Amino acid sequence: MTQTAPAGIATDTMLRIDGVHKWLGHLHVLRGVDIQVRTGEIVCILGPSGSGKSTLLRCINHLDPVDGGVIEVNGERIGHEVHGGQLYEQGERRVAKARQHIGMVFQHFNLFGHMTALDNVTYGPTRILGRPRKEAVAHARQLLAKVGLAEKESSYPSQLSGGQQQRVAIARALAMEPRLMMFDEPTSALDPELVGEVLQTMRQVAEEGMTMIVVTHEVGFAREVADRVVFMDQGRVLEDGPAREVLDNPQHERTAAFLRRVH
Amino acid sequence: MSELNHSSSPALTARAHYVRQPGDEPAVQGAPIRAKRRPQYGQIVTGFVAIALLALFIQSQAQNPNMEWGVTWEYMFNPVVLEGVGVTIQLAIFAMLISIVLAFVIALMIQSNNKVASIIGRGYVWFFRGVPMLVQVLLWFNLAVLFPKILGQDTNSLISGFTAGLIALSLAESGYMAEIIRGGIISVPAGQTDAGVSIGLTRNQALARIVLPQSIRVIIPPTGNQFIGMLKATSLVSVIGGSDLLTRVQLIYGQNFKILPLLIVAVLWYLILVTIAGVGQHFLERRFNASQPGSRKPRKHSPAGAAATTTTTGGAP
Repeated sequence: MTQTAPAGIATDTMLRIDGVHKWLGHLHVLRGVDIQVRTGEIVCILGPSGSGKSTLLRCINHLDPVDGGVIEVNGERIGHEVHGGQLYEQGERRVAKARQHIGMVFQHFNLFGHMTALDNVTYGPTRILGRPRKEAVAHARQLLAKVGLAEKESSYPSQLSGGQQQRVAIARALAMEPRLMMFDEPTSALDPELVGEVLQTMRQVAEEGMTMIVVTHEVGFAREVADRVVFMDQGRVLEDGPAREVLDNPQHERTAAFLRRVH
Repeated sequence: MSELNHSSSPALTARAHYVRQPGDEPAVQGAPIRAKRRPQYGQIVTGFVAIALLALFIQSQAQNPNMEWGVTWEYMFNPVVLEGVGVTIQLAIFAMLISIVLAFVIALMIQSNNKVASIIGRGYVWFFRGVPMLVQVLLWFNLAVLFPKILGQDTNSLISGFTAGLIALSLAESGYMAEIIRGGIISVPAGQTDAGVSIGLTRNQALARIVLPQSIRVIIPPTGNQFIGMLKATSLVSVIGGSDLLTRVQLIYGQNFKILPLLIVAVLWYLILVTIAGVGQHFLERRFNASQPGSRKPRKHSPAGAAATTTTTGGAP
């Protein structure tokens, strides 16, 4: 229910997606997607599977390169630069540097299996940002406490439940002090009983003013937390508006049909 | 009949909606029924047959004058034979180490985005895995025919039987090891790379720091297997006089014609080496195969142990 972010920040754009196209083989997965997200805004992306939601997230931090269009995070192009009207892919190192500030949480958690929870969270800050170990550990402990796993710091991922793993994964992403957090169906792989704890953690992150894009099937979460809801189908944005309006009064018949089935 | 019926209490027979009350225990009177396993008759019969056959064989051979156990025993710890054992061990260890290093390079080449490197890697595996080891040993030993001189040195003096054998075994083995290492890399889910890349690693860094460490668990057990194979494959070197165990045994029986007793010496030594390696492999497997990474490396302090698992799943505060 963060209706509008403070006026000063609300005006600038954190994420600009402009006419993005993506093919996977012969499949035209994204067919000209435009989305803008302002700083501090929380946007939920809904849509049937295969609609291109997850691919869109992977394109935002250049895990998958786009085939056309522009993606800018905080005014900075990710993965490509323009020379004479043509997009050129950047070098690995530059892309990696740009990605540091975009947090990503995956459907299958993807915690580093050979590291403890604490090492998972401190790895980025120490090995990539070059923070002193002491400082990183202190920060990581704070984050683990925040996601309710202070006493699990020395556990390995295989010793944690799915919900716990996902919360560590959120802490790992937050440790990089991202400007933007992306969640790719963060609760889809969880037992029903464990969904609540992850959504609760995400709510907390949202309350702290983080800019968030959440691909999800949790309509309840979208209604409660999101400022805006984007509905996608077959690689296009069909509807994009204030969360309540889209969820309670969908204008596109495809959105309405989808919501009827999910409810 | 009536004895077995006692578990079907009234609660079990007719209830539409059962709610467990505190203190509810299964309605069992008396001792629970004991289940007895069927005796394994087949196993007993097989055992008797095997023992009988073994006894027959031993009895027939113990008195066979051609076995000459005394000769076997005499040469078992002969210095020449022992040196051969040493050479065999050296060959196996060095060839294995060299092949692992080569194999890592080849596996990474095959997996890389660089198409040319990938094709070269595949070609390498195709050749060195495809040509029989024995042929490779002979090829390297006869290199002088193609290149009489290497770096101004006479090839034949540069490449001894041992060196030729070592090169051949290393290269042939590296073809197999490359596939094992590649399998290990593939076995790590792609999500691990995604996660590494998403916090700002390059793809190569993610491969080296996130994927490779996790693939070791999968690579180690088959590598132990390959090493055992290598211990035996060293005997191929005998065709070029590699001064290994088999070469020396052959040299000795070439002089005294006690062929079988000396072959038995070789058999026993190979079995001893393989058994030792097998025990080592067993421990490696136990460490890398069955265990989760967590259970083998307990951290200094884990305040709340297993009990905490259930308490924290309740939800974030």
